[in-house]
Amino acid sequence: MHIPDGLLDPITIVVLWIITIITMIVGYFKIKKIFEEEESEKIIPYIGVLAAVIFAFQFVNYPVPGGTSGHLVGGTLVAVILGPWASVIVLFLILVVQSLFGDGGITALGANTFNMGIIGGILGFYIVKGLISILNRTSWDKRTKITFATAIGSYIAIVFASFICGIEISIAGAVPFFIAVSAMVFWHLFIGIGEGIISALIVFYIYKSKPEFITTESMLGVK
Amino acid sequence: MVNISKYKWPLITLVIIIAVLMTMIAIGFTIGILSENPDGLERVLIDNNGESWLENLPSPWIPFLSWIQNEYLAGIIGIVISAVLILSVFYIIKYKRKTIQKEPKNLI
Repeated sequence: MHIPDGLLDPITIVVLWIITIITMIVGYFKIKKIFEEEESEKIIPYIGVLAAVIFAFQFVNYPVPGGTSGHLVGGTLVAVILGPWASVIVLFLILVVQSLFGDGGITALGANTFNMGIIGGILGFYIVKGLISILNRTSWDKRTKITFATAIGSYIAIVFASFICGIEISIAGAVPFFIAVSAMVFWHLFIGIGEGIISALIVFYIYKSKPEFITTESMLGVK
Repeated sequence: MVNISKYKWPLITLVIIIAVLMTMIAIGFTIGILSENPDGLERVLIDNNGESWLENLPSPWIPFLSWIQNEYLAGIIGIVISAVLILSVFYIIKYKRKTIQKEPKNLI
């Protein structure tokens, strides 16, 4: 879902850059508390590790029926581990590095961060939170609730992000609106399955081995 | 001086994860588990406009970067810029953290 340079029109580029910058500034102040605490000495390197893992995982292209492929985006995954605001900043940094290697455009960084970080991260996080509040009525254990909610939340977030991406490319005139939106959503209905499974497996593993790294447990309201 | 030993395990974890993933990617492409097909967005654009259209999108960077003719040089510049960006972010975090710690917590 990496939008390349030269595809979007200038107004879309500027608007999405402004939204992304504002979100990151707000995000910085929201996560400032993490840096004030002594535990940040341990957490900050793991933010870097997580960013590197997502960066590497985005190169793992799994096949999707119909001659296309998909890869992990990781917005919801990072949001579940580090919180919704941190996910925007982490995804932005990953996309900056990727854009320097030609995967996604530099001018389209705002749009790519909006799609994968803001929609994938912030929206995905609140979908996961909503699902957990429903799952709290069941007798499932915490790990199962978070894992299941992450799978579904990641799936919905990626499909919605593809819907928004379809709108963006249709505004640019690259593809007619109806075709862009329907085709993007159609392909991501399949790609999202991989996103949901990989995100859920990673969250399941972390929750099993190092549950303290899921820093959002209280924010998610899991009981 | 940065105390490297403090970050020993995160660094080891990072190297192991990257090595495992890179091996997985290499093996995956070789045996055909992974795919080189276009992703969702590329598929939509190729289906509507053709592959050559996608490959020839006008880059806004041509006027600034057209002097780079060598792919290896481009790669090295990319790595250097990436390293500078990442180190800058970590420096800002470290600097900001020190500043916060130095600030008096209660002035009244």
